Amino acid sequence: MSQSRVAYFYNPDVGNFHYGPGHPMKPHRLSVTHSLVLNYGLQKKMQIYRPYRANAHDMCRFHSEDYIEFLQNVTPQNIQTYSKDLLHYNVGDDCPVFEGLFDFCSMYTGASLEGAMKLNNNACDIAINWSGGLHHAKKFEPSGFCYVNDIVIAILELLKYHPRVLYIDIDVHHGDGVQEAFYLTDRVMTVSFHKYGNYFFPGTGDMYEIGAESGRYFSVNVPLKEGIDDQSYVQVFKPVISTVMEFYRPTAIVLQCGADSLAGDRLGCFSLSTRGHGECVKFVKNLNVPTLVVGGGGYTLRNVARCWTYETSLLVDENISNELPYTEYLEFFAPDFQLHPEISSTSNANTKQYLEAITKHVYDNLKMCQHSPAVQMTHIPGDFLPEEYRIKDEPDPEIRISQEEADKMIEPKNEFYEDEKDNDKEPVPETKES
Amino acid sequence: MSECALVASVSDHDASMDVGNDKSLFEPTIDMMVNDFDDERTLDEEEALAAGEHQDPKAELNSLQREGDMPLEELLALYGYNRNMDKPIPEQPPEVVPEENEKTESALQQLYSDNTSPEATRCLRSGSRPPSEEEDDYDYSPDEDDWKKTIMVGSDYQAAIPEGLCSYDDALPYENEDKLLWNPSVLDEKVIEDYMKKNCAINSGTGVDAVPKGKQLRDDEEALFLLQQCGHNVEEALRRRRISAQTPAHASVWSEEECRNFENGIKVHGKDFHLIRQQKVRTRSVGELVQFYYIWKKTERHDIFANKTRLEKKKYTLHPGHTDYMDRFLEEQEASGTSVVRPVSPTPMMMYVPSPAAQPDPLALGEKEVFSQLNPHTTPPRTLSTEEPEPDTVS
Repeated sequence: MSQSRVAYFYNPDVGNFHYGPGHPMKPHRLSVTHSLVLNYGLQKKMQIYRPYRANAHDMCRFHSEDYIEFLQNVTPQNIQTYSKDLLHYNVGDDCPVFEGLFDFCSMYTGASLEGAMKLNNNACDIAINWSGGLHHAKKFEPSGFCYVNDIVIAILELLKYHPRVLYIDIDVHHGDGVQEAFYLTDRVMTVSFHKYGNYFFPGTGDMYEIGAESGRYFSVNVPLKEGIDDQSYVQVFKPVISTVMEFYRPTAIVLQCGADSLAGDRLGCFSLSTRGHGECVKFVKNLNVPTLVVGGGGYTLRNVARCWTYETSLLVDENISNELPYTEYLEFFAPDFQLHPEISSTSNANTKQYLEAITKHVYDNLKMCQHSPAVQMTHIPGDFLPEEYRIKDEPDPEIRISQEEADKMIEPKNEFYEDEKDNDKEPVPETKES
Repeated sequence: MSECALVASVSDHDASMDVGNDKSLFEPTIDMMVNDFDDERTLDEEEALAAGEHQDPKAELNSLQREGDMPLEELLALYGYNRNMDKPIPEQPPEVVPEENEKTESALQQLYSDNTSPEATRCLRSGSRPPSEEEDDYDYSPDEDDWKKTIMVGSDYQAAIPEGLCSYDDALPYENEDKLLWNPSVLDEKVIEDYMKKNCAINSGTGVDAVPKGKQLRDDEEALFLLQQCGHNVEEALRRRRISAQTPAHASVWSEEECRNFENGIKVHGKDFHLIRQQKVRTRSVGELVQFYYIWKKTERHDIFANKTRLEKKKYTLHPGHTDYMDRFLEEQEASGTSVVRPVSPTPMMMYVPSPAAQPDPLALGEKEVFSQLNPHTTPPRTLSTEEPEPDTVS
């Protein structure tokens, strides 16, 4: 199999935010992950980008303008003046207002958005953004530690080029925000594997949630019970994804790798090892479809870093040793200092019978969507950005695209664009400014 | 079986051609084969059963004896289990498919419904929406469905899907707002590795890179970026690297005062970095505080702090060997009134070393900015050298 071209998006500041005392979501896990990636020598195998930062306009592609404006303006200092909005937007314990909140959102969202764009442009086969994957955020409100739904925004970008996008979610929590956003469309299929029942957050993801209207049968939910181990998980994951591929034939994939499905997570209740979790990532990689890989949940810092580092190594096809390299964070990995520590197994509440039954149920539903949607191939030239945003975003003319970079802009291998040349005849006075 | 099918098709063929006789001649053959097949199976099964039953009269007696002594539950379990095993086998083979569909569906539902136990485990941190609302006066429903949420439908909830497809024009919309720091496809892997090794050589002996890093050859983001900036010219990159190696890259080192203020802040405000910044460490951004916190947290300095403030007693039990050593250290510290503490933090950003004359003058020490340049023999993490006033003497 040919080596995939991997692009990795990391903003060195994204790990330096803090949700507040006692909050389980710790953005610093991203710094620790990056440090491990670096010290394992994985960085030189990938294109490394310091990503674009999303602006309010990008976020409003999905979210309501009021809500984004609120996010942009609220700070710990002025929070009192927003007391009404706080309730309205469900901001509080789970989703606190912390210092730099909007910057944080703009970093992780920008990275996902740019990953989608690089995939569209065929600049890479796999795009990685571990800071993204905040799958609970809703159009009008934050939810479950997520404020801006970078996944939805990235998928909307992918839909510009791709008739069918598949979303796969292996976070322990249901990917409700993404499912809801695309509940009525057949152009995105969402597949979520998660713990369901017993008051487990967010309370959606029932196996009977299958989508509605044109989107009927295009939301797939695989509810699981606590304690699922590697073997059982993979036993469900592989056949479900294979069936999805067969019936849906996506042209792009977004994979959410929430690490709270690992054993020993502070909030999760599954018993996956980093190897088992990674097995799913490897499986998706081997489907050889352009893929955006994002992070997500994960509340035991050291295990999140281990997991995403290991998965980075899988995505670049590099074997890395079980012994962790020296990093400034080495002490976090005491006492074993290993990439794949032993996990203490809890009892698996998923019987073989249950897993077989749920797989069958999913299969039966998937059969119903056999007719993949055919998207009209209308050509909409350019980006959707209205003029005023374009001007604002217009970059410094000094750093124009170099010849080398221009050469890299290969035309997308998108069979639908045979007539593309017909449409962009207007010569763009690209280089006249100096 | 394939033979049988072949025969059957031949027979059909024949039958259509010549009427009567031939067909009747073939029919029994098919029946025979089919029956034969079944017969053989049931025979096998009967034999197997028989073999199981009539083993050895003595053994049978023994087992009966054993069962006689068994507690009732065990006996029931034994027979219940056996019954289950015996019965379905002969019945199963033919029409499983439609039946199982229903069975599993209902089984699934059953399995599904039994997962609402009264003891709730809310798994995102807080119950921003408590499971049982105060005013649930209407029909009593056990909170079974309270926690369930539904996916909402409407323009307030779904994303607007762009119609059709489009393409970017000449340039990516955000092309110039990101920054490519490294591209692996230009140079050969060997060349890069070689470059990285040479880089390490330049750095070794100075600064943090003197700290042993294990056998792994680490990636140096800056070195790779530099190589790219030099148009992937290894020689040029190394030359520039040698020049820049003289000056420490990270000037932003925490002073002793900042560290102490930070610790005070933690003591007063907990992990509220916003408040700490506002009231204690104004010289640093919240981001810097967060970064510092995670490094600081795993250093000796933190342990000492934790002991002192009795925030965390666990460390004592985790490192019992340190106990009296630390007591002595704390006493010493209190006696002298200075903090001769040597924080052991491995990042260049936070690294600092007590000035050689660290001993007596508390005022001078407090104000002094300390440098990130370390001696070749820097202490590895988690070794405290209070005994030695001079860092140079650490072996």
